[in-house]
Amino acid sequence: MTTEELDPLIHVPTRLKIVATLAALPDGDALSFTRLQDMLGLTPGNLIIQLRKLEDAGYLSSEKRRNGSAQKTTVALTSQGREALGAYTKALRDLLGGL
Amino acid sequence: MNPTPDATTTEDDGSFDPRQAATLLDQTTQQTRRRVEPYPPWLLTIRAFIALVAYGAVWLSVRGQHPYNHPTAAVIPVVAVLVVVNFVATVTVAKRATTGVSGRSRLRPAEIAAMAVVWVGVFVVLGVLAGAGVSHSVVYGIYPATVPLMAAGLVWAGIMAARANWRACCTALAVAVVGAVGVFAGPAGAWAVAGVGLCVVLLGTAAAIAWRQRRSLVRP
Repeated sequence: MTTEELDPLIHVPTRLKIVATLAALPDGDALSFTRLQDMLGLTPGNLIIQLRKLEDAGYLSSEKRRNGSAQKTTVALTSQGREALGAYTKALRDLLGGL
Repeated sequence: MNPTPDATTTEDDGSFDPRQAATLLDQTTQQTRRRVEPYPPWLLTIRAFIALVAYGAVWLSVRGQHPYNHPTAAVIPVVAVLVVVNFVATVTVAKRATTGVSGRSRLRPAEIAAMAVVWVGVFVVLGVLAGAGVSHSVVYGIYPATVPLMAAGLVWAGIMAARANWRACCTALAVAVVGAVGVFAGPAGAWAVAGVGLCVVLLGTAAAIAWRQRRSLVRP
């Protein structure tokens, strides 16, 4: 097995951190954009770019809610995202076992 | 806060080593589990000792009573302070941990209402029993030491079972079992059983959560 077999969308440090953070939440939970940003220590611009890539792949879903004058965005891992991380973790395990 | 590995500086250049990826995946998962856990092991450990001290203080005040009368007035402020500390610490930590978290794991208003009804109901019944002239060993001993644990434990277990949260369901059932065992320990012994039992359940839960938080996704 080679590193090429690791999902290229997840096998990037920033996106791996995003996916791992969301996957550590209980199934069915979402995280606000600001808390996610705080937890990962990323700039809003960088986080938005990475979230968009993951969302385009169907790994994430985001929801915008208006709360008075403020808008709150929450993000959650989709079942497809959880499966992708599961497959990625298994591939990593296989790779490390063979190293 | 744990530092993230240098791997985070590597972006889409294909040089992200699998070992670094495994470390980053485990670190991020463990950090997140710790940060969003509403009942962290350290808090449960403190609560275990609070339970032991609170119930223990009551037990010390009643253990020599023959016949059983009631806990002494001196113990009430101690218990009241411990209950308030426990409540404030639990709510503060849980609120901080779940900031920004939404979805299925948050308690619904109906579930909060069910727990509130149980707590109020337990003490309303206690008042009715006291008014009806039921013996002191029940009203000031067995009932307050055991029934709140059984009632709250069973309702919470039901709520957690409905959510398929089996770890929390087992903890709640264990609390109810502690209450049930206390019934057979007599009015003074019920306080001791409740204190020790609750302490053991909370320490066990703390250990289980600590183990889960540290478990690696990648490495065996």
